[in-house]
Amino acid sequence: MIQPRPSASPVADAYVPANRLPARILGWSVVAALVVFLIWLGRELGSRLKSPTFFILRIENGWVYALGGLLVIVALLFGTAYLGKVIGERSRGRAVSYWAVLGDQLTHLIIWVIILAALYPLIFIIGTSLDPLNRLVQGSLGKPTDPLLIRSRIVPPLEGSDLSNYAALFQGVVIYGWQWVMAGVGALALLWLAVVNLRTRAFAGGLLPERLQLERRYTSILLIAAIIGFFAFLLPGQFTGSGTASRFLLWIRNTFLISGLTGIMAVILTTTAGYAMARLRFPGRFQTLMFFIFVQMFPNIVALVAIFSIIKSLDLLNTFTGLILAYSGGAIAFGTWIYKGYVESLPASLEEAALVDGTTRWGAFTRIVLPLSGPMLVFIFLLQFIGTYAEFLLANVLLSGAVNWNVGVGLRSFGVSGGTSTNTTYYGQFAAAAVLGAIPIVALFYGFQQVFVSGTVAGGVKE
Amino acid sequence: MTVVRRAPRQAPPAGPSGVFIAIVTILGLCAVAFGVGWAVTQVLAGIFDRPGGFQIPAYLILILGAIVLIPLMVTAVRLLPWLVNWYYLLPAIVFLLAFTVYPIVLTVGYAFTNYSGLNSGESDTSTRLEVTKLSRVQLKLAAGANAQTELRCDVPTCAGVPIAMPDPQDAKKKPRANSIVSVEGGVITLSSALPEFYKPIQVNRVNPIAFIGFANFSDIFAKAGVQLWPVLVWTVIFAVSTTLINVVAGLVLGILLNNKRLKFRNVYRTLLFLPWAIPAVISVQIWKEGLMATNTGALNRLGGLFGGVPIPWRDDELWAKVAILLVNLWLGFPYMMTATLSALSAVPEDLYEAAEVDGASKWQQVTGITLPMLQAAFTPIVLSTFAFNFNNFGLIYLLTQGGPQLEGRLATAQSTDILISWGYNTAFTAAGNAAYGPASAIAIIVAVLTIGISIFNFRAAGVFKEAQK
Repeated sequence: MIQPRPSASPVADAYVPANRLPARILGWSVVAALVVFLIWLGRELGSRLKSPTFFILRIENGWVYALGGLLVIVALLFGTAYLGKVIGERSRGRAVSYWAVLGDQLTHLIIWVIILAALYPLIFIIGTSLDPLNRLVQGSLGKPTDPLLIRSRIVPPLEGSDLSNYAALFQGVVIYGWQWVMAGVGALALLWLAVVNLRTRAFAGGLLPERLQLERRYTSILLIAAIIGFFAFLLPGQFTGSGTASRFLLWIRNTFLISGLTGIMAVILTTTAGYAMARLRFPGRFQTLMFFIFVQMFPNIVALVAIFSIIKSLDLLNTFTGLILAYSGGAIAFGTWIYKGYVESLPASLEEAALVDGTTRWGAFTRIVLPLSGPMLVFIFLLQFIGTYAEFLLANVLLSGAVNWNVGVGLRSFGVSGGTSTNTTYYGQFAAAAVLGAIPIVALFYGFQQVFVSGTVAGGVKE
Repeated sequence: MTVVRRAPRQAPPAGPSGVFIAIVTILGLCAVAFGVGWAVTQVLAGIFDRPGGFQIPAYLILILGAIVLIPLMVTAVRLLPWLVNWYYLLPAIVFLLAFTVYPIVLTVGYAFTNYSGLNSGESDTSTRLEVTKLSRVQLKLAAGANAQTELRCDVPTCAGVPIAMPDPQDAKKKPRANSIVSVEGGVITLSSALPEFYKPIQVNRVNPIAFIGFANFSDIFAKAGVQLWPVLVWTVIFAVSTTLINVVAGLVLGILLNNKRLKFRNVYRTLLFLPWAIPAVISVQIWKEGLMATNTGALNRLGGLFGGVPIPWRDDELWAKVAILLVNLWLGFPYMMTATLSALSAVPEDLYEAAEVDGASKWQQVTGITLPMLQAAFTPIVLSTFAFNFNNFGLIYLLTQGGPQLEGRLATAQSTDILISWGYNTAFTAAGNAAYGPASAIAIIVAVLTIGISIFNFRAAGVFKEAQK
């Protein structure tokens, strides 16, 4: 039984020893300085606002209505909380605190406001991607008869929506018959995987039947094989469209190729090293580990100039090989560290038994430890894959020409964020590419949510 | 016939000598292998240096080296069986040395040179001399050409000036390097003989990369008032405040969502997780133009509904900083929220029950139990977030590109540039004029600061202690 710490008691908090007083004074003066700074900042920011323009629907005192609306909802919650209390008491048969119910309902309200604010950029980008006229980013307003949010161009109007922005990304792409078959197989596998996952939900907490586990494994393998089969042989010659936007699928292919190979490299390089660090004891082990940790401290981009010139002197500029080699160097230290920790968590007795039976160290590693570390290999692979997928700096420096770009570099070519000038002509196409480009990573994140959460939080590292 | 052989040693020599022997052996093997690779490549390059021949790519050294290395390693492990321990580490060490350590060493070297787009050790195409071949060591200038002015030589004879000759047939081939012995009366004498078949038509000057001591650093510190100090101050302010803002937002949301009675809390968590799942390279670009444009951006349109006036998100130096913090909050809060939730799931429930029995209010429970329990889990997270944001190049570059421009500041170090983006601008944008040497000097300053932060960070996280296990 864990006892609450003494400081958790309110009495202990209220008592301030005399020698703590200066610290308190210092603390409060810091707070006072911060408040003064924030007031100054607010005034300064306020003085730099622009005057209203014709493109923005401005409602004088709109905030009063908004605040009023919010207060009405809060007032309603005071009523519904009473209802909740009564219903709760009826169903549970014990006293329910009115304030607890009210607190929960206010929490719901706050969280919904936060969710709306946090997800609005996504609503915006999906809406824009469906709008061939780019109405959300144009300097114009809707008709006065439109609903307020549509009229003010905050939410996209539904009429006139189509998929032409998406079509522009695939314009002139020649897909061979067998590639369609691959795509079809992949889609079916994905669908089946979703069905399997839904069926798995039913066993929450319980033990999964073996059949379902096998089914999930084989469907995943089929899906991965179909994706590889589809993208691996997608060649630049199949892209006959005009304009860089029509190379979108090629960028996806390039990114998959680069990220996938980098991920595999990361797994190969880190597993052997991590295993040796965890299990083998030899002079120099600790020093090597410190060397790895020390090297990891250098941010990769600091040495950008040098990496550029090394890749150039190897004649690998503008090749995927060069980019993959450059990425692989950065992946090693962290992956080795996590894998070392993972192997240490496995019982050593398994390997010892195998070694007594005459297996070599290498045999113990490949036949006992590796098969046991499936989830960890997936985590190392995914971390590297996702990190590389979103990378654009090295790619920007090392790759040139629309045929070789990855997604990150390609997205910048729409002129949306290229320079300081504003160019909204291709914003719709950009939005479509952004939506499609984000889908693989969002899917991976949600598919492996648990792996990510435990892995990244434990590692204390944000990718 | 019996052969008496000394049994190979199974155990490594104790102490530092074992490490020393291992490192020397492995480095020796690598040196031999890649040396052979280099030599074979040179021979091949000589063979294929003929009309219609092709250029041997430099990466062949790597492939050949790897092919030679494997039998060498097998032989070595026969002699010293304990070396096999090191073979597990070898792939990782080779890659680290080649693509992490070597670039760092090179960066340190570049920091003391005048390496730039102009002084690159390659053909300077702004200098050119049309020539025809006289003999294997002599080239004839076009009539009326002046070698000294065309090649910008210091002395009239251009003695010792390094030059390069672009391939007359194939522009993609590497220019052939050479140097001038003398120029006399329209005839250039070269220091090394050209192949018989090779007929150059043009000569470019080569500006070598020269060692210039601490000039890059003294230049940076001389101009520190308009670049280093303001950029450093903003880097620290940005990293500290974005970490604080994100941590507070994540804590508040995490604590709200940790309420076990709350219905749909998993749905909320899944929805709020979304910004983390979208690659930042995509979401920052969405924010930049669609949401933060002054006249047509969605944020200002939304603000207009509440009676607000347009905010110059990217045109004002102060608002641009607010914009950066805002976007980074959006990018980072799901991570902090998730970290809070998983740290809180480790807090035993009976702690709260005991507090409730003692009559502690909800607020007292948060300050007395939740926050102290979170402290241990959050220390490494906060520190690594700070270190990450200290070098958060992607955000700054994609959102503001360091802008807006400020009077009196260098074009490479604008109002929202952080140290790392300042270094990048110096090397890779038009404003910096490809000044690789100064950029490397900046990189070293960044690296020193980052290592300081990391050492502090790893100490707090107990990495060093864990390594010793």
